[in-house]
Amino acid sequence: MKLFLAALILTMGTIPAEAQWLDWPTPGIPRTPDGKPNLTAPAPRGPDGKPDLTGVWDGENVVARPAPAALQSWVRDLALKYQQEYFKTRPYYQCRPSGPEAERFGGWRRILQTPAVIAFLNDDLTHRVIFMDGRKLEDNAAPSWMGYSVGHWDGDTLVVESNGFNDKTWTSRYGVSHTESLRVTERYRRRDFGHLQVEVTYTDPAAYVKPWGFTANMTLAADTEMLEAICEWSSDHWEGTVSDGPPVTVPPDVMAKYVGNYSGIYGGNKRTIEVSISGGQLMVKIVGAAQIEGGLGTAGLDPDAPQPLLPRSQTLFEGLGLGFQFIVDDKGVVTDLVEIHISGPYKFPRQK
Amino acid sequence: MRLFLAAFALIVGTMPAEAQWLDRSWPGIPRTAEGKPDLTAPAPRGPGGKPDLTGVWNGPNPEPEMDPANAQPWVKDLVRQRQQDYQKGRPSYQCLPSGPESDRFAGWKRILQTPAAIAILNDDLTYRVIFTDGRTLEANPAPSWMGYSVGRWDGDTLIVDSVGFNDKTWLSRYGQGHTEALRVRELYRRRDFGHLQVEVTFTDPAAYAKPWGFTENMALAADTEMLEAVCELSSDHWDGSIADAANAGVTVAPDVLARYVGVYRGLYLTNKRTIEVSLSGGQLIARIIGAAGVDGGEMRPLIPRSQTVFEGLGIGYRFIVDDKGEATDVVEIHISGDSRFARQR
Repeated sequence: MKLFLAALILTMGTIPAEAQWLDWPTPGIPRTPDGKPNLTAPAPRGPDGKPDLTGVWDGENVVARPAPAALQSWVRDLALKYQQEYFKTRPYYQCRPSGPEAERFGGWRRILQTPAVIAFLNDDLTHRVIFMDGRKLEDNAAPSWMGYSVGHWDGDTLVVESNGFNDKTWTSRYGVSHTESLRVTERYRRRDFGHLQVEVTYTDPAAYVKPWGFTANMTLAADTEMLEAICEWSSDHWEGTVSDGPPVTVPPDVMAKYVGNYSGIYGGNKRTIEVSISGGQLMVKIVGAAQIEGGLGTAGLDPDAPQPLLPRSQTLFEGLGLGFQFIVDDKGVVTDLVEIHISGPYKFPRQK
Repeated sequence: MRLFLAAFALIVGTMPAEAQWLDRSWPGIPRTAEGKPDLTAPAPRGPGGKPDLTGVWNGPNPEPEMDPANAQPWVKDLVRQRQQDYQKGRPSYQCLPSGPESDRFAGWKRILQTPAAIAILNDDLTYRVIFTDGRTLEANPAPSWMGYSVGRWDGDTLIVDSVGFNDKTWLSRYGQGHTEALRVRELYRRRDFGHLQVEVTFTDPAAYAKPWGFTENMALAADTEMLEAVCELSSDHWDGSIADAANAGVTVAPDVLARYVGVYRGLYLTNKRTIEVSLSGGQLIARIIGAAGVDGGEMRPLIPRSQTVFEGLGIGYRFIVDDKGEATDVVEIHISGDSRFARQR
């Protein structure tokens, strides 16, 4: 269970403390009659008449699972390998910049727009700049974590083109790699005061059969401030892979008792955990877990494939980076399954 | 010598490759008759009439004057301990943010100025935001790596006050600690197009009896671009301490050590540096003058790695010996290359 502890420590540093600025009213923003920020007021515009994206933005979680068929086989193979390693080499877990990773489009950032440069300041203390001074992308840029970006306006849409990425970053937390030839296109639209949408497209023929991408929605975080969320504990200290758990064996008749469907609520959504046996091994499939969880645990590229559960004791199993504890009553009947997340345990009663 | 390798690996990632932008001419800047950036032209001003600090800036490492008597005893102990550990806990060596460390005022940064906020974007990908929207500092901010900063104009000088630092950062590369009560004041003056000066004062009575600081002079890096310098290899993987090195088992005969005693002079980068080598308790000691250390002249015990190569505080020292066995030079082996110092006496 060392993995869980490491992940827990990762999130501790990001817990905000009480501070005045966290409920400091942003000056000069449109407000409703009751004094709340009016998020549907018109988007502000700069001196040049173009939308001004300046502000602190909080993005919803991004789920970026490209279709496996869209990936070259080496990218698929690598994604499977990373899944086996609990994605522990994900740059974010290694305290390295996330670069163009899809999930970096979620979460907190401050945008600062000036005529020649637009800066994106992320809460993990990385930043990128988008040059608006008319320059073209470099043909042969030095590979970098954040890439080189130039932008132009297409009507009210900011179009950003980037290249010059190193190949150490991922494009998705599910272990999707890219080459140094990656190009990223972003189209930003601030449709009103409080809402910013970005359409992101990854193009990298050596890695992807065809371009793929996602849309991320951000909301203006008015009347508050962004806090630092610094990674201090690299996953270098995590131990283990899916395949090297300790040799605990659970007799087949005990495992057979665990087979069944368990249902409950996780994060406001109904979730069903289907437990089955295949090849003498307990398998788990989570239905209704499309959203990213705070933990490491998630399936790889194919969320529908059952994943193996490895025994840690007679009742405790590990899989998908989560712990699974079966609750057995005094008659030996399995009543519940508890999913152990870094945010805490969640109990799912057995359905049949 | 593992330490040297680790340090070397750290900088490899920052080496710039050839790229067009690196010699790209900046549009719209004042130029001299022969087309070079005119760094002594007047400083640009923003819509409010105040100087606009926007630009890419580069500056040398500051060498703060540090009066040892000013540091509280716990700070002195901490500095000594960190020296013993080759400063391997220095945040930038651990791939952590440097926060208010004096050396972070050196090197490359991009400043972006807007009416409500000024952002300072460092080449290590960290950044800070200085709020100029009239807010005041928080009384009880959450401790953070970069602190919380508010700025205001006093004539053409930007005054920045910062609080809310965690106590994990250092104030100098020599390991000077601080508390969460640290306050930093910066006075920025862009005296002309190409020059930006910042006067930095650290105030933290629980760590330093009196406020102290330094002045950093930055030059506009016109007609080029800033490249990333991201720390990828944490010093967690460095091995050893001075005590370990002392136990490594290489011994040099006292009469050989005695031949190395003397005063060596030369240039390190552009600064004159004198290295005084002496013997104390059977051990060679180097005192570096011109590299303002914690105790004025920085004392480095030299631990033998061979009969001519010694290690002191993560830097290698190689004595060059003539055919009579007399030392003629000492070479400081830095991660940035070798610097040779000729013996004076």
